[in-house]
Amino acid sequence: MSRISWLTAICATIFASTTPLNAEPAPAPPPFAGFYQPQGVDEIGWWREDDESERRLAASPLVIRDEKLSGYLKEVLCRAVGDDRCNATRIYVMREPTFNATMSFNGTMRVFSGLLLRMRNEAELAAVLGHEFGHFESRHGLNRFKAARTGTDVLAWGALLASMGPSYDTRRTYQSMEISVYGNLYRYGRDHEREADLLGLGYLNKSSLAPQAASHVWQNLMGEIEASAVAKGLKKPKFNAIAFTASHPPHGERAAYLTALASPDSSTRDYGAQRYGETLAEWLPTFLDDQIKLNDFGGSEYIIANLAKDGWTATLWNARGELYRTRGNQRDLVHAVQFYSNAIALDDSLAIAHRGLGLSLFKTGERTRGQQALARYLELAPDSDDAKMIQMMLPQETPL
Amino acid sequence: MNARFFRGGALAVFMSLACAMTPANAHKLRETGQTFVVADSDVTVTPSRDWNRLNGKVGKRTETWTLDGEQLNDITFFGGIRAGDPLVKERSKKHEPLPKFTSSTLLVEVPELLEGTYRTYKELAAFRLLSVEPGSFLGSEGVYFTYEFTDVDQLTRKGEARAAIIEGRLYMVTFDAPRLHYFDRTVADFRTLVDTAKLR
Repeated sequence: MSRISWLTAICATIFASTTPLNAEPAPAPPPFAGFYQPQGVDEIGWWREDDESERRLAASPLVIRDEKLSGYLKEVLCRAVGDDRCNATRIYVMREPTFNATMSFNGTMRVFSGLLLRMRNEAELAAVLGHEFGHFESRHGLNRFKAARTGTDVLAWGALLASMGPSYDTRRTYQSMEISVYGNLYRYGRDHEREADLLGLGYLNKSSLAPQAASHVWQNLMGEIEASAVAKGLKKPKFNAIAFTASHPPHGERAAYLTALASPDSSTRDYGAQRYGETLAEWLPTFLDDQIKLNDFGGSEYIIANLAKDGWTATLWNARGELYRTRGNQRDLVHAVQFYSNAIALDDSLAIAHRGLGLSLFKTGERTRGQQALARYLELAPDSDDAKMIQMMLPQETPL
Repeated sequence: MNARFFRGGALAVFMSLACAMTPANAHKLRETGQTFVVADSDVTVTPSRDWNRLNGKVGKRTETWTLDGEQLNDITFFGGIRAGDPLVKERSKKHEPLPKFTSSTLLVEVPELLEGTYRTYKELAAFRLLSVEPGSFLGSEGVYFTYEFTDVDQLTRKGEARAAIIEGRLYMVTFDAPRLHYFDRTVADFRTLVDTAKLR
């Protein structure tokens, strides 16, 4: 073989090792190994730490204690990864407004409420839960810990040896090694994410849900990030650039390979949008409120519009009204009045919409109409937290 | 030899400067019975017990007082926030903007403004307004409100605040303390202190 073809072969090998996913649909997951117990001193130690952390988590004020909701999440996980596998984990829903879910060594899965707000159907949720389960099944946490320990050991010894020969060359070599080791550790982490994506899609391809949803999750997230950046007047984010310290592959790459990994003949499968919507209905106003109050106008607007693709509801119109009233420019208030009115047209008993409508009208100078709306709010919610305050606004403004 | 002397000299100068600067930068005791101007504003208070004024500021025109440290009891004075300004200093104006007090903000919306600021700054969702009531503050009509939130340290804190909008500026005092023990222990002292607040 010529030198060039050798080089090509080496490059191909390197490329293949950094991008383990090809364009084929994800293969079925390996047979389930059964009930797993930690092996070796590292893993036993980590599981012990995690057990302690899980005990604290179970008593945390941030955990949403709703049996119906956590039961449903467990059901979705079981539907995604299979009944034999899903019993190895416990799911905790955290009241955190950001997009995230984590999996720890011993099978404790934390799902943030911000993630639940962004999912539009059961298949999307199943894709994220399956990905997290993939981390657990492949023991990624432990492998990463071991890699980090080995890497930092190498650096510590390297520093010691480098200090024995204090020349510019030694210093430079050590610095190169430092960059190389850290770069490899981050890349190793990203490869774990790719592997978990592959496994996650493997589960989904085998399940009764549509695996195409996995890619939708990332497409929506990119849409949200871009909308948020545009509203803040920032540059359009690059979705394919990998930062040196990036913990995950870029969203663009993930969206692309997740589409390729989804088995094409399963696109007609159920997405479970109705089941998801019904279960989340009770929590949706709370999660929307949590998002709106984060002061991310573009992101929130995108999320609301995305949820409204299946039809606008009074809750969604009201949320949009709240979003515009919170930003509070005069032009926003005019829109807010419209959105609250739309919400009231769909559901006149939605007290919070009457409140928002009344306050927005007040601020746009339409006091009489504002008072009427606030009076209706008090009629619907006489015991609300701010009833006395609103009550006081009415007689004061009436003579005007 | 010269270089070493120079380094030693520089160190000595730095140390003496640091010592000389310490009293000016340190937290200050706010003694009982004296009247103090707070938050570089025209608001004065007369404490009926000793408090510590912390040196650090969370934002322009703010001042923080405490007994046991700001994690355990934190009184923050907001002395006249102007329209267009956030309550506390933004970490990044561009990337993480905070909600702003505006000239059209209504008194009943002030609790929402504080709520939005806490939620955005701390990235939390577990925040609940408990009550919002009319009251008098700095001789004007104002709003009294209470709230509860769980911070990232997983400790649930309670808060009580009074605010008024006077001549287009927001004046507010907040008291935050862990719900367990600390809030109930000091809330009466907070109320006594806020009752003495006056506009000069």
